[in-house]
Amino acid sequence: MSEWLESAIIRGQKIDDWLTPKRTQAIDLLSTTPWPTRKTEAWRYTSLRAIQNSKAKNIETIANLLPQNITDLSAIELVFINGQWDKTQLPDVLPKGLSISLGSDLNKEQQSQALANFSDIKPKRHLFGLVNDALAQDVVIVNVEDGFNIKQPLRISSLLSLGAESHTRVQVTLGKESHLAVIEDVKAEGDSLCTAFVEYQVSAKAHLEHYRFALQTGSNVAVGGCHFNLLDHSSMHSTIVAFGSDLSRLDTDIIHSGEFVDAKLNAIYLLDGNELFDLHATVEHAMPNGTTEENVRCIVAGRSKAVFNGRIHIHRDAQKTLAELNNRNLLMTNTAEINTKPELEIYADDVRCAHGATSAQVDKQALYYLQTRGIDRAKASVMLNFGFINELIDLMPNTVLSEWIRPIIRNRFSAMEVK
Amino acid sequence: MSNTKSLLTIKDLYAGIEEKQILKGFNLDIKPGEVHAIMGPNGAGKSTMGYVLSGRDGYEVESGSVTFNGENLLDLEIEERANAGLFLAFQYPVEIPGVSNLEFLKASVDAVRAANGEEAITSSELLKQAKAACKQVNLPLAFLKRGVNEGFSGGEKKRNELMQMLLLKPKLCILDETDSGLDIDALQLVAEGVNSQRSPDRSFIIVTHYQRLLDYIKPDFVHVLADGKIVKSGDASLALELESQGYAWLENGNVEAKIEE
Repeated sequence: MSEWLESAIIRGQKIDDWLTPKRTQAIDLLSTTPWPTRKTEAWRYTSLRAIQNSKAKNIETIANLLPQNITDLSAIELVFINGQWDKTQLPDVLPKGLSISLGSDLNKEQQSQALANFSDIKPKRHLFGLVNDALAQDVVIVNVEDGFNIKQPLRISSLLSLGAESHTRVQVTLGKESHLAVIEDVKAEGDSLCTAFVEYQVSAKAHLEHYRFALQTGSNVAVGGCHFNLLDHSSMHSTIVAFGSDLSRLDTDIIHSGEFVDAKLNAIYLLDGNELFDLHATVEHAMPNGTTEENVRCIVAGRSKAVFNGRIHIHRDAQKTLAELNNRNLLMTNTAEINTKPELEIYADDVRCAHGATSAQVDKQALYYLQTRGIDRAKASVMLNFGFINELIDLMPNTVLSEWIRPIIRNRFSAMEVK
Repeated sequence: MSNTKSLLTIKDLYAGIEEKQILKGFNLDIKPGEVHAIMGPNGAGKSTMGYVLSGRDGYEVESGSVTFNGENLLDLEIEERANAGLFLAFQYPVEIPGVSNLEFLKASVDAVRAANGEEAITSSELLKQAKAACKQVNLPLAFLKRGVNEGFSGGEKKRNELMQMLLLKPKLCILDETDSGLDIDALQLVAEGVNSQRSPDRSFIIVTHYQRLLDYIKPDFVHVLADGKIVKSGDASLALELESQGYAWLENGNVEAKIEE
C-alpha cells in the first residue's frame, strides 16, 4: 500500500459524523485493496505517481474563490472551496421543487435516507470513489421533487487554492417526471488534488441534462466520478469536455435499472503538452428496452496521452437493447498517445449493438470539397479537425454552454503543438 | 466571338482513374460568357471531366492540355484552381458535420479574395451577402449555422452549391448534373440562379443527362459526350434532337456510347 493511501485511511478513521457507517465500509475495502500498478487493468495506462508525489493538503480556512465565469450563464451555484461548501454563493431563494442541503443539517429521517443512498449507485470498484467515501468533506444533498422542471441549471464547482486537497461529494435525486440540468466543473490552482464524485438517482420519466467540464490543467491532480442510476422511462444526456493535467481521471457509470431508459454520452478530449486524461465509461444494461449512444472523440497533440475505456455490459434480461459506442481519435503528433479499449459484453440474444474505435484521418472527400472552394489543404485540415470535435459541441442541449465552450476549445486547438 | 480569347481550352485530353481511361481525346473550347451544355449517357465521362478539371486526387491525366485563363490548369493545386475562378457544383455534395456553413463560406470567400489580392471579408459583410444568397436560392437562413450540407435534402444541397457560387463569383462554373433529383420548382430556382449570374465574363459548363434543365437555361452550345470524347456539337436545338431520339440515335453515326456506372 502506498503512503498516500495509508494516510488517507488514517484521516478517514478520525472522522466521526453521520456518514461514519459508510466511511467505515469504504475504509475496510480500501485496507484490503492493493495500490494500483501498471498490471492493474483499471490503471494500466495511467500512472498514479502524481498522487503519490502530491504535497497537497487540507486547507481549513475558507479562501475567497469564485467559479470561472461562464458568459450569459445564470446558474444556481453550488460552490465548494477546497472541499467546503460556500453557502454564501447559493441564492437565498431556490426554485420551487428544488432543495439543496448539507447532509449533516438534515433531520434524522432524511439523514438515514441519505445515508442509505450514499455510495449506493457508485460501484465499489472505484478506488478513489472509496477514498472519497472515507474523506468527503461537506456532503451536499440535492433533491428535485416529483414533477418539477427546474429551468435554471445547477452548477457544482470544485475550486481549489494552490496546494489544496479536497474531496467533494454531491448526491442528486431527480423525482419522478422531473427535469434538471447539472453542470460540474473543477477550477484548480497548481499542485492541488481533488476527488469529486456525484451520484445521480434519476426516477421514472425524469430527465437529467448533464455536463462535466474537466478543464483544469497543469499540476492539478483530479480523480472523479459521475454515477447515474436510471429508472423506467427516464433519460439522460451527458457531455464531458476534458483537457488534461498531470493526472485527470474520470469514471462514469450509467446504470439502466429500469426499462425504456435512454442515455446519451458525448465526450471530448483535447490534450496537449504532457497532459493526461483518462475516461473509464461503463454502461450497465440491466433491464430490457434501453438505448445508449456514446460518442467519444479525442484530439491529442504534443506528448499528451489519452486513455479511454468504454465498457457496455448487456445483462441476460436486457433484451431489445440498442447500444452504440463510437470512439474516434485524432493524433496530431507522433509523440502523442491514445489508448482506447471499447468492450462489449453481451449476455442477451435480442439486442443491437455496435462499437468501434478508430484513429481517424481527415475525411478525404471533405478535404477535396473544401479545397475546391479555394481553401488550402492545411487550413482545410484544421477546419475538419476542429469540426470533428465541434460536431459534439453542436449536440450540447444548452446553447449558452456551447457558445461559451466553443471559442475556448477553438483557441486551445489552434495553440496545439503540432509537429 | 472568334476573336475573343478563350477562357478554357481542353486539347486532346486523356485521363482516368486507377488505370482506367475514361476521357479519350476530349476537346473543348470555351470563351468568356458562353454557356456550354454537355450531355451524354451514363458512363460517358461527364463527371470525370469535372473531377479532372478540379484536380481531384486519384484522377490522372495521361496526355493533353488544359489552359484556363492563360494558365496551365493541370499545374495548379485544387485550391489554386478554385482561386483562379474555377467552380465545380457537385452532383453529390459532401456533408461536413461540425464545420458550419458560415465558417466554411467565410474561409472560402477569404481564400478567393486573398488570391485576388483583396482583404478578408468582415463577418458582418459576409453574413449580409450570405443571407441575400440564401434568399435568392430559397434556403432557410438557419442553414448558415448548421454543418455544411448536414442533414440537407438532395435539393437543398444543390441549392447550397448554387449559394456558394453566388458568393464566390467564379469565372467558370461547372454544374455537374445539378438538375438530378430536383423537382420542377427546384429546377426553375436553380435555373434562375444560374441565369442571374450569366455575364460576359462568366462561363458555364452544364453537365446533364436530360434536356429539361436546358428549357430554363439556354445554352450557346450543346455537346454530346460519349465514351470519353465529344462526338457531336451544335446549338441548343441539338439538345431537343437528343431528347426526342435518345442517345441510341448517336450510334447511327457509329459512335458507341458505352453504358457504365
